This record gives sequence, structure tokens and C-alpha cells, in this order.
Amino acid sequence: MIANSQFTPAAPLAAAIFLATIGLVIARPWRLTEATAALLGASAMVLMGLVSPSGAASDVAGHWNVLLFFVGLTGAAAVAERSGLFDALAGTSARLSRGNPRRLLVAVVAAGALVAAVLSNDAAALVLTPVVYVLVARFGLSPLPYVLACTFVADAASIALPVSNPVNVIVSDRLGVSAAGLVPVMLPAAAASVVALLGCLLVIYRRELPARAPLVPPSTSWASWTGVPRRLLAASGVAVGAFAVASAANLPLGPTMAAVWLLLLGVEWTIRRFDRPLDGVGWSLLVFVAAMGILVDGLSSAGITAWLAQVVLGQVRDSPALVMVVTAFAAAVGANLVNNLPAAFVFADAVHSAGLSEASAHAAAIGTIIGADLGPNLTPVGSVATLLWFVLLRQRGLEVSTWSYIRVGLIVTPVTILAALGVALLLGLPR
Amino acid sequence: MSDPRRYLVALAGTEDSALPQRIDRVLGTGDSAVEITLFHVVETGPRELAAYHPAVRRGHWPLPNKDVIEHRLEDADDEEAAALLAVWQERFEAALPGARIAGLVAQGRPEQEIIASAGRLNVDAVILSARPRTGPTEPGPRSVGHVARFVLDHSPVPVLLVRHSR
Repeated sequence: MIANSQFTPAAPLAAAIFLATIGLVIARPWRLTEATAALLGASAMVLMGLVSPSGAASDVAGHWNVLLFFVGLTGAAAVAERSGLFDALAGTSARLSRGNPRRLLVAVVAAGALVAAVLSNDAAALVLTPVVYVLVARFGLSPLPYVLACTFVADAASIALPVSNPVNVIVSDRLGVSAAGLVPVMLPAAAASVVALLGCLLVIYRRELPARAPLVPPSTSWASWTGVPRRLLAASGVAVGAFAVASAANLPLGPTMAAVWLLLLGVEWTIRRFDRPLDGVGWSLLVFVAAMGILVDGLSSAGITAWLAQVVLGQVRDSPALVMVVTAFAAAVGANLVNNLPAAFVFADAVHSAGLSEASAHAAAIGTIIGADLGPNLTPVGSVATLLWFVLLRQRGLEVSTWSYIRVGLIVTPVTILAALGVALLLGLPR
Repeated sequence: MSDPRRYLVALAGTEDSALPQRIDRVLGTGDSAVEITLFHVVETGPRELAAYHPAVRRGHWPLPNKDVIEHRLEDADDEEAAALLAVWQERFEAALPGARIAGLVAQGRPEQEIIASAGRLNVDAVILSARPRTGPTEPGPRSVGHVARFVLDHSPVPVLLVRHSR
């Protein structure tokens, strides 16, 4: 709606609050957590009268599906982590590699892609990276290529399914696009970007991976699947199946995911009595998402996201293909300037306010998801925040070879985005 | 009797297993007392990347216990270094029966640790491979890796650069 793209008088204030919040999220002074920073910003929006209290309440309530989804997802991933699944997966990768460093890299990327797609990108990055590090060290290899592979594949594979990345659900929810309906496009696109990533890594590290690992631990020394409780494996299978059916039937994802979590938790209870079932639920993610919803509502009612939509989509709004490409690159740039979740929020709202045709909205959802999921890998990972992080490390006398990290992102990010976009353009446009 | 000759052999772990024989052939270690320190550096950069992983910084996910993870990574590195040096100690003892072989592990950036240890241990020469991670290297442009190049540039003592044979 072009008429909508007038700024209200409150626009400068809304923009200032949003930017200050992002600044806090990035710089994190006084050990402020991201959730606290976002909460402060959301409170400021309400206190300054940019969002009414009832509006804020309905923003949070309006995200019930997304919020419930994250409770279920983080809880389910915590069950998976406790079950020893990650060690078993790493052990399988080790055995498949048979002491060949290149095969090990391929196996690690495959394992990371699987975890990222099924259990979300943060699980792959946070839980799998240390496991892989230990695994690679036991081969006497330099862990750098493998640690980076975990980082990158966590994002590259995270466009695959609704569960793979918080961004996916936020974007499709806001744009009114069926998250499950995107899977036939996004799954092949994710496969393309993972393959592209693997190709990049094998080329970049062609001179640094030796022909043979210096140590080859006996294959029996690796964690195996027998360590993972059978019942839990079976329940996971049931859970995945149930989730797929529910998605296909277009049931809301939030309650489905919460039910999956409760199922896994129940099965875990029959194996091992635990004290704190809520351990591992990502409460800070919930607070962050809820607060972000209020912040972006403030931007939206000030007319800023509509203006952004006009700037980005003004010329191309009637061509789904162009909409997809433009949103992908704009979201990728946004994810590097600010954090990827805020970028996804702002973009989803902007696209929403542009009042696109159904085909264009579908294309915009795909483009935004690709850009916001894959984009953050460009600078060391995530955003300017990581650059500040390197500065901090330097000040404390820790030398991290920044270049060895950045150069990989500079190559991998455009290549994976282009690979995913290529597939999405082939499969994701109405014909 | 003169002081024993002392060498620092820098090992990435991926060197050609014939390295001890080649050293023996060049230096003729059989006739006088020789002390060899096998030196392996654990690169801490990747560990820091993992422990301060951007996703940790992003902080969305329930964060695993950072201390526990850091300890696990350190233990893995220690275990790896010990295992590597044990393998090579055996190889060197077999090839150079008269020499005294010891192992030493450092943490940090390999090129700087090699230089620092060469000075501190007051060795007669540093011995290292041109490009240990990629196997055979023909002489020619860029046949020397960045660690070996740094050591050649900065070593206070003579350097023996070993090339892998095919």
C-alpha cells in the first residue's frame, strides 16, 4: 500500500529506539543479554506511547504459535542432546571417514546438515561443534576446517524445514505463507546450498587437509548408537512422522511441536527420572522473539517498515522472481548489519505491509528466509557484532586468525545464497 | 667430552614417517651424544572459535555449560598431543638408537612457539617440514608453508628444512 508509506511524526523516535536496541544487542554492555536488551527496547516503545499496552499484549499473543513452537523445539532438542544422539552421530562420522580427512569433512558436513535441518541451526552450532572438535582432535588433525564447517553448515542447511531456523517460522507466520508448503522448495534449495558449501570447503582447504590423519583411533573407540536409548530413538521417529503429517495437514506448528516435545519428555521419563524437565528450554529466545514483535510493531505503526518495503520492493513488486532475488539479498545485507532475527522480523513486516500479490508474497517469503538464514555467514558469523568480538579478543591478547575465518565466509556466503536461490527460482515460482 | 648436540624437531603430526631416518642421514647422529626434543604445538585458535562460537554470542539457544565444554576441548587437545608425541617418540627411538628423545607440548600459534622454544631451550638447530600437512612437496614457489616460512625468517638458530619424498 503505497499510500501507507508516509512517516508518522513518531518515526524518528521509533527508529531511534530500534537502533539503540540493536546497538545494545550487538555491543552487549554490562553483560546485558540479548533478551534483556530487546525487552528494554520493547518497554521503551510502550512507555513512549509508540505501541499501546493493549497493542503490545496482542503482539505477544499474536505470536503464540511461534512462541509455543520455540518452547517445543528447544525442549525437544535438549532431550536429543541428553540422549547421546550427537555423540553417536559424531561416532558414525568418524567411522565413515576411515581416517581420511576429506571424507571426515564430508561426514561432518552431512551430520551437521542433518542436525541443523531436523533440530535447528543453533543446536548444530552449539552442541555439535564441541563434539566435532573433540572428534577431530582425536585424529590429530587441525580442527579449524571442521569447526568452521559446523558453523557454516548450521546456517546453510537451516533453510530446509520450518524447524531448522527460528527465522523460517517467523517469516512464514508473518507473511501468512504455509511453512509446510515451502518445504518442497526449501528442502532441495538447502541440499544445493549444503553441496555448494562442501565444494567451497574442499577447495579452500585443499592444501591444508593431509592425505591421511596422523592418528587413527580404533573404530570401536567411537560412541555408537547402542548408547542411545532405543525407546527414545523410536519416539523420535514417531515424532518426526507426526510432525510431518501435521505440517502437511496445515495444523498450527506451535501446538504440534509442543506435543512432540511432551512425547519425547514422557519417553525420557520412562528411561531416566530427571529433576528439571524444563532445563534446556530456550526462554531467552522466547523473550527475545516476543520483544522483537513489539519493537517491530512500533516501527511498523510509525510507517518505517512500509517505507523500507517501498525502497526495496518498489520497482519489482509485480515480478515474483525479482521479488525473491531482491528480498534475499536485502535480507542478507540486513542480517549482516543487524542480527539475523531482527532483520527477519523487519523484513517480514516490510514485505507484509507492501501488500504483495499471493505469488509475490510466496516468493518474498522464500527470498527472505534464504537471505536471513544464509546471509549472516558473510562476516565472521552473524553480524558486525562478531567483528566487535574479534576486537575484544585482541584487546585481551587472544590472537584469533581473523582472516582465516573471514575469507571462508566471504567465499561461502555468496556461493551458498546463489545455489539456494537458483534452486528456489526453478522450483518456487508459480508457473 | 663435548656438550651434546641439541635439536628441536617441530611436528605437526602429519609428517612422513621416514622423517627420523632422513634426519639421521643428514646430521649423522650416530657418533656423538644427541638430544632431540620433539615439539608439538596445539593451536588454540580453533578451540577459542568453538568456545566463543558466534551462536554462543547470539545466545538464542539454551546455552550449554561453557566451562564444561572448554574443559572437554582442552582435554581432547592434551590427549591428542600426548598420543601424537608417543607415536613419534617410538619412531625416533627406533631410527636413532643412541639419541635422547624427549617430547614437549606448547599451546598457541605454532610458528611463534617454535621460535620461542628454540631460544629458550638453547638448541643448536630447529628441524621442521616444509609443508607437513599436505604430503610431498616439490621444491619451487610456495612449497614452504606459512609456519615453516615464519621459522626460517625468525629463527635465532640454524634451521633444517625437510621435504617430504614421494
